[in-house]
Amino acid sequence: MRNAFSAALIKAAQKDERVILLTGDHGYALFDEIRRLLPDRYLNVGVAEQNMVGVAAGFAKAGLRPILYGLSAFVPIRVLEQIKLDICYEELPVVMVGDGAGFVYGALGASHHCTEDISALRAIPNVRILSPADAHEMTHAMELAFSLERPVYLRIGKCDVGAVHKGPIKYDWGELIEMRSGNGGVGFIATGSMVKAALNEARRWEGSSVWSAPSLKPLDIEQVATICRNHRAIITLEEHSIYGGLGAAIAEISSTYTPCWVGRIGVNDRFAQYAGSYGYLRSEHGLDPAGISRQVDELIERIGPTNLPLPKASRTGVLVPEIT
Amino acid sequence: MLSPLRLCHPCFKNVPVTTTSYRFDPSALRRTVIEMAYAGSTGHIAPAFSIVEILAVLYRSHLNLGDGSPNSAGRDYLILSKGHGIMAQYACMYELGWLSSEDVRRYFSDGTVLKGLSDAHVPGVETTSGSMGHGLSVGVGLAWAAKRLGRKQRCFAIVGDGEMNEGPIWEAFLFAAHWELSNLTVIVDNNGLQAMGRVEEVLRLDSIAEKLQAFGFETREVNGHDEAALDVALRELDKLQSCRPRAIVARPEKGSGVSFIKDTTSGITPA
Repeated sequence: MRNAFSAALIKAAQKDERVILLTGDHGYALFDEIRRLLPDRYLNVGVAEQNMVGVAAGFAKAGLRPILYGLSAFVPIRVLEQIKLDICYEELPVVMVGDGAGFVYGALGASHHCTEDISALRAIPNVRILSPADAHEMTHAMELAFSLERPVYLRIGKCDVGAVHKGPIKYDWGELIEMRSGNGGVGFIATGSMVKAALNEARRWEGSSVWSAPSLKPLDIEQVATICRNHRAIITLEEHSIYGGLGAAIAEISSTYTPCWVGRIGVNDRFAQYAGSYGYLRSEHGLDPAGISRQVDELIERIGPTNLPLPKASRTGVLVPEIT
Repeated sequence: MLSPLRLCHPCFKNVPVTTTSYRFDPSALRRTVIEMAYAGSTGHIAPAFSIVEILAVLYRSHLNLGDGSPNSAGRDYLILSKGHGIMAQYACMYELGWLSSEDVRRYFSDGTVLKGLSDAHVPGVETTSGSMGHGLSVGVGLAWAAKRLGRKQRCFAIVGDGEMNEGPIWEAFLFAAHWELSNLTVIVDNNGLQAMGRVEEVLRLDSIAEKLQAFGFETREVNGHDEAALDVALRELDKLQSCRPRAIVARPEKGSGVSFIKDTTSGITPA
């Protein structure tokens, strides 16, 4: 997925000479290609993210087309106010990339974990949010981001969990992509690294549908309402807080347009306690296959089995661990 | 006491000055500020008064306003990073005809456009400030882009000394020096006061001029209420064959021009 990002970045820069990348001394090998091919379109502003956002706003006001790169713990979290005032208030055409979202930098600890970026940005007007699940969604996300002259945040989470699409894919702003069709009791809506996990869990639920949500803001209200209408319960999955992210967005739409049960699976309002690998941290937060199954079972048990299919198989024995 | 333009100042020796070109009279600008503050029942008079001469000199003699309309293409950028002084800029914009007497008279009325801090939605105001330490970064971005795009545009950024408590100001200084933004002039309003007390008591800055020099700026230190001195310093900096960014440390007194709010923090708080 990072390769897809790098390729899309170079394509965007070659297509539009106004495009310029700014990084706060992050990215390492990710930018080798653009530095080699288009050295004057790469600017390392140093470890000064607050200034970087203001500089990008200045670039955009002067007619350039900046793309900001940082770890999501810094862009947007460290510089949220700069994004709000300098970029979003004026609706400037700046693409902001937050890499390593979720628990990608697992062992480094709280400073590098980021499970609040979607929530923080959803509350800021004028910014759109993309959260691709694999390289194919990423390629199109970059096309979408540069198709508009307005602020866009591109969230890059764990990017080596494997592709969820067979080939190149196109989607519109707000559109959810159907990954598995079904009109059974349960529907799954996931974003980013959790789409694959949703597909795994769905195998336990006959007739379940799975949707990938690469565009978190805007969300197609009509499409979400239709999905909610087709199922008794919707389970959302995200490598992000259960507050304010995908699950909250779906629950907001559901409660307003088509009430149904919404179970939000994500980070349950807590920091990671220990150091460990990405896989370890996902399991610590109940986001590994067993943890997800447990939470889905708990929800189904709570709302009662009426009109709901039973799990196809027990929790153990059928699932191939997704994370190694 | 209102400060008059001192045409006899020695700094004017080599500067052509004609009385017919005298616009942006500080007394008139201060009057507009007071009228707005009265109309809006608002404070922030002192931070506006302390930059009246700076703005008067910039608008009168230094800013290229392009075709004269706000946001004209090719204009020089004026960044009011210390957005609390916005009424002084409104006063200049009123004189330019960019604001109407209705705008002044109805300041802070429901549904009006002009806010209490600098706001980029107002044509002629480049950035949104009031939250301190934002504007200068946007300013260095504009200056960098103007250089990259081969444009003659310059950027003047007015920064408050209290605002220099903010980290991004120093990040922007580093950026300006590193990228040799000779088209950037930072004007520090060194009035020595911030919201809750004296700068030296709240968070000491010591010599701002020395700090700016150490950061790689061509620096001048002048009385910020002395229009002639400000004008000369700006001309000198403009003529320098140097790739460094420019800075002026302007030393006025907050609330200058009105004896009872001069050098006090009470002129800042909303009435």
